[in-house]
Amino acid sequence: MADTLTSPAAVSAPALERSRGGGIAARLGAFGKRSLAVALLLALWEILPRAGVVDRVFLPPLSEDLAAWADLLRSGELLEHTEASVARSLTGFGLAIVVAIPLGLLIGWYKPVAEFLSPVLELFRNTSAVALLPVFTLILGIGETSKIAFVLYACAWPILLNTISGVKTVDPLLVKSARSMGLPPARLFQKVLLPAAVPAIFTGVRLAGAYSILVLLFAEIVGAKAGLGYLINAAQSSFRIQDMYAGIITISVIGLLFNQLLVHLERRFSTWRTT
Amino acid sequence: MTATTAKIAVRGVGKVFRTRDADRPFTALDGVDLDVREGEFLTLVGPSGCGKSTLLDLIGGLAAPTSGEILLDGEPVTGPGLDRGVVFQQYALFPWRTALANVAFGLEAKSVPRREREERARHHLGLVGLRGFEDRYPHELSGGMRQRVAIARSLAFDPDVLLMDEPFAALDAQTRESLQEELLGIWERTGKTIVFITHGIDEAVYLGQRVAVMTSRPGRIKQVIDVEFDSRTGDLRADPRFGEYRHRLWTLLRDEVAAAREQEVARVG
Repeated sequence: MADTLTSPAAVSAPALERSRGGGIAARLGAFGKRSLAVALLLALWEILPRAGVVDRVFLPPLSEDLAAWADLLRSGELLEHTEASVARSLTGFGLAIVVAIPLGLLIGWYKPVAEFLSPVLELFRNTSAVALLPVFTLILGIGETSKIAFVLYACAWPILLNTISGVKTVDPLLVKSARSMGLPPARLFQKVLLPAAVPAIFTGVRLAGAYSILVLLFAEIVGAKAGLGYLINAAQSSFRIQDMYAGIITISVIGLLFNQLLVHLERRFSTWRTT
Repeated sequence: MTATTAKIAVRGVGKVFRTRDADRPFTALDGVDLDVREGEFLTLVGPSGCGKSTLLDLIGGLAAPTSGEILLDGEPVTGPGLDRGVVFQQYALFPWRTALANVAFGLEAKSVPRREREERARHHLGLVGLRGFEDRYPHELSGGMRQRVAIARSLAFDPDVLLMDEPFAALDAQTRESLQEELLGIWERTGKTIVFITHGIDEAVYLGQRVAVMTSRPGRIKQVIDVEFDSRTGDLRADPRFGEYRHRLWTLLRDEVAAAREQEVARVG
């Protein structure tokens, strides 16, 4: 028995190192490298228009765009547009989660449902959401409903497809093992399929998060009375180029933060999927 | 229950799988007869593809035989249940659960109250020498430790029978030997009935009180050999009788392995 107690401890040391030794220095270095590239880009944005390499009418130096951004912020205009966009994005995104996850679980779990629906799914997933925007506008008008529905539609696909594949690709041995312990189908689903599919579902959610902003911007550019897409488009057509860039900067920062948040959540829910 | 009743009785069991080619069904097992006694450690050897794992699935209730029947304590097996615990070669641990939560899985299925569940899971992890590793996830454990967790999981819900499908085949030689020794210890202490599949002759002789040899496909029981040692303590492998048993099994298996190889060549070619 002495051998029993010592042998696992001996094996565990390298296993522990592998899993917990992330290397803080390496991480900092990577972060530095990434920020360096961004800093360089921003510097070019400032210098090139000033040096006259690019036309500063169409690409004003960064500092001017940031000043315009500050003005928009002070006037409250920026907040109003941001609120409108974020509300639409989150509503569509949230509804997509609520609709697509259960549907994906259902399709992944019941083979007949999957066989029946998969040709339709293939067809729709290869039809760009953007191509369908005129249809949404036609049926639901140009108000909030059509925009939220449009975001919902675009976000539903990655979540749906990832959920389906998450359920379908669960290791059959795990299912067999659980079955050998006499688990009835409902509990098998709850205790094996669902947890096994969580990482895949989160990947879908993260992708959908990015889509929710991308497609909404498109819808707002095409037709809206508020929102960052509207701001960007309106600024461009009335030749407030600095305002246009202020809008673009805002949306890219929001997109970045939202994605970081989702990546963080995804990691938290799939820590076990490291090997 | 009388002493003559077998714990597990396999009676004329056959298993045929349908294949894509409907005219050529795949016969995995044909007329298997085998009795496993209460509290016995039986090892099952046979050439690869002879249906060993299929037989274990049938005893585990994970599949139904095409013909014949399997009795457990005199009752026909109709499905899986917590009276039998299965240990797989590839561990089959739930990667999102810690070692402790993995061991507790069967107890959840058995609806044991939470507090008792944790206590029993802890106890069984200790039994396989993994005290202190309760909160580790499977990917943080070595192969040998994962298999220990899997064994603890099967022991924790206290089945009468342990069905083990080449559980140590994926481990290195040293880890395998220490796990074999521990499994014997656990078996002696708990008195479980164990059916253990292996393709290693040494392993079969070392672990089994009896060794059942299967024929090549369709699998049948060719012979059952009683393995008797005066004592199982000490270096069993150095016992001259170990060599004798080993040789008998080797001779029995040689023809079957050759036949299995021919089948394989015929199928691929």
